Amino acid sequence: MSILYDEAQQAIASESRRVLDARSDPSRLLTLLERTGAFDETFWRTAVEQGWMALALPEAYGGLGLGLVELGLVAQAIGAATAGAPFLTTNYGAAQILLASGNAALQARWLPLLASGEAVGTVAFAEGTAPLPPGPECVIAGERLSGRKRGVTAGLRADFAVVWCRDQDRPALALVELDVASRQAIDSFDNSRLYADLIFADAPATPLLEGDAAPAVALDVLVRMAVVTAHEQVGGAEALMFIARDYANTRKAFGQPIGAFQSVKHRIAELYTLIEIARANCIHAASREGQADFIAAAAAARLSATEAYDAAARDAVQIHGGIGVTWESGLHLHMRRARSLAIEQGNMLFWEDLLVDELVKAAA
Amino acid sequence: MSDLDAYRLKARDWLQSVAPTFGKNALKGMPEREHLAMGRRYQRAKFDAGFAGINWDPEFGGQGLTPLHKMIFEQEEMTFGMPMGYFGVSLGISVPVVMRFAQNREWAKERVLAALKGDEIWCQLFSEPSGGSDLAGVRTKAESDGNGWKLNGQKLWTTYAQHADYGVIIARNDPTVPKHKGLTFFWVDMHALGVTVRPIKLAAGDDHVNEVFFDDVKLTDAQRLSPVGGGFATAMATLMIERYSASDPAGFGPSIGAFVDLAREVEINGRPAIEDGRVRSAIARSHAMRSGLEAITLRAMRMMEAGMEPGPEGSLNKLVSVRSRQKLSELAIDLMGNLGLAWDRQASGKDDWVASWLSAPTGRIAGGADEMLLNTIAEKILGLPQDHRPDKGIPFNQIPA
Repeated sequence: MSILYDEAQQAIASESRRVLDARSDPSRLLTLLERTGAFDETFWRTAVEQGWMALALPEAYGGLGLGLVELGLVAQAIGAATAGAPFLTTNYGAAQILLASGNAALQARWLPLLASGEAVGTVAFAEGTAPLPPGPECVIAGERLSGRKRGVTAGLRADFAVVWCRDQDRPALALVELDVASRQAIDSFDNSRLYADLIFADAPATPLLEGDAAPAVALDVLVRMAVVTAHEQVGGAEALMFIARDYANTRKAFGQPIGAFQSVKHRIAELYTLIEIARANCIHAASREGQADFIAAAAAARLSATEAYDAAARDAVQIHGGIGVTWESGLHLHMRRARSLAIEQGNMLFWEDLLVDELVKAAA
Repeated sequence: MSDLDAYRLKARDWLQSVAPTFGKNALKGMPEREHLAMGRRYQRAKFDAGFAGINWDPEFGGQGLTPLHKMIFEQEEMTFGMPMGYFGVSLGISVPVVMRFAQNREWAKERVLAALKGDEIWCQLFSEPSGGSDLAGVRTKAESDGNGWKLNGQKLWTTYAQHADYGVIIARNDPTVPKHKGLTFFWVDMHALGVTVRPIKLAAGDDHVNEVFFDDVKLTDAQRLSPVGGGFATAMATLMIERYSASDPAGFGPSIGAFVDLAREVEINGRPAIEDGRVRSAIARSHAMRSGLEAITLRAMRMMEAGMEPGPEGSLNKLVSVRSRQKLSELAIDLMGNLGLAWDRQASGKDDWVASWLSAPTGRIAGGADEMLLNTIAEKILGLPQDHRPDKGIPFNQIPA
């Protein structure tokens, strides 16, 4: 059932938006684009202070015990601000795996640190071009992990990663603490995502899950993270649409606001349709956590949100004309983020396939 | 179970019970005359079972329930292919106007009841040869002759006018004032002297729309439904009366499930089409879009249930869904290759890809062309400027034709 946001949820949405509006600084974000390994410390302090890292964690570990709906609303605000750190989603994913693992010792060690923002976690599922390869090449033997994970979000800063791997022929998930030696920075078009290649050579690791449970949990966590990211994409797309709308209302050419030309106003109206479809899918998906159609709902949210953000990035820049392609306009912050978020948590091809598999299953 | 869930089940039960008589299988291949007769019988059966005028005043034969109940019934009804098309405009637009604005209340009650029972059908006479989207540009004249009015002109695209007993019409009473200000709203007897109806055969082969000519058709002043010169505002208000109606995320074409079934049956290069990346991509994107529309509708219904006004995003359904149906229908025919060349003239656009494809262009124009819907989103929701309108503020008879 698609939910209506209650008062508390609406307050989370407006408060997170307000705080980020007050503390965001595009020039700071532009600087970060040219620095590898740096992120927006002001944003990170704000996120921790506001309790966003604790939001979706159980109260027993210092969390607030809320869920995907609330986390999604914060992610939407973060997306609108093109915030300069990826930890909301990576920490959530890492925590979800720890919770599913049933490993009480690791939960007690890491979850309170994630909730308080003292630690950063991430997940490393992808290999090569596959977001979640059926036969990963990363191998765990006993408590030693070997292999390579490329382009891991937050990899340059995370204290630990949960790694999708195999134990002989059995799929597995393992926790590995990251040190300097194990990561190589990627100089990226969206540097504050802190992408790194993680290289493990007999790295000490703790097995979390193996056998049939491992792929089920990995997919479930990827799906959850995708729902959070989809909210972030909607936030970014909507912010761009309003920027384009405001510009079209003020910029004049040929004696009238450019927004009076249908080629411009219809472009913005088309963005509205894409964004509202994506938003509705997001709200719906967040409310389907744990249900049989959760994967299909999340895939719909993910696909429509990626489409909306990419389209908004293309069209908002186009509507601005020459100004839109300047470094200083900052529109490219969104354009870059639209693509980085489109790839994190699995590209369109992956989600299209997953969704069709779900639909075929439902039809069979 | 909530009241609404119970209502849905009750509606579904009843629809299932009459489907053997009125459902698409029972009516397949039936000539239009008989189909219409079945439509009237079905409407009567709905009335008798308490599923007509669901959200209307009981004083007018309605059930006194909420628009939400009506939407729920419509959502359930949509899947059965019942012969309800003849009453869409009648009960969805025209009769509610009569119920609200007719001067003679007793007469209005009789008409509403007759329409609810399927005995009488109403049409809506808005579009004209010189203007469909530009409603305020209509040229049909209503001239006052002291104690009544005389109607002259031509309407176009009038749905089911050939079956209609009455219509609501907007006409120009004063060409010397700006176009929005010189219009008046009336009801008209479609059997009156001087009314000529000619069906128009559409590209898909059907002729449910008409051109309607008015030659010195006499109206009494009691047939006026708006203040003199206040017709445009009344016309706008009428569009709001029944603004909550069930939408179809499939754009009134076949479902994604039907497309998946097709893709599992046909082959590409000796492999099932469902394994082909191009096909998978189209399925995934279409489904994502449709599920978004569905979620918008669900949320709107939740808001109504909570006594709130649904958001403006409800207005994008037709724009997005019909376009998508058009493209998906093209792809479906493509998948069938040479086998897709056959045309079943009796098939419904809800079940058949060729029928859906042939009638999709109509869907993108009727009830608001895509371009008008985009204008509405841009202007009313996003606050973008109106288009340049050279006829603004100018007396109608001085606008260059």
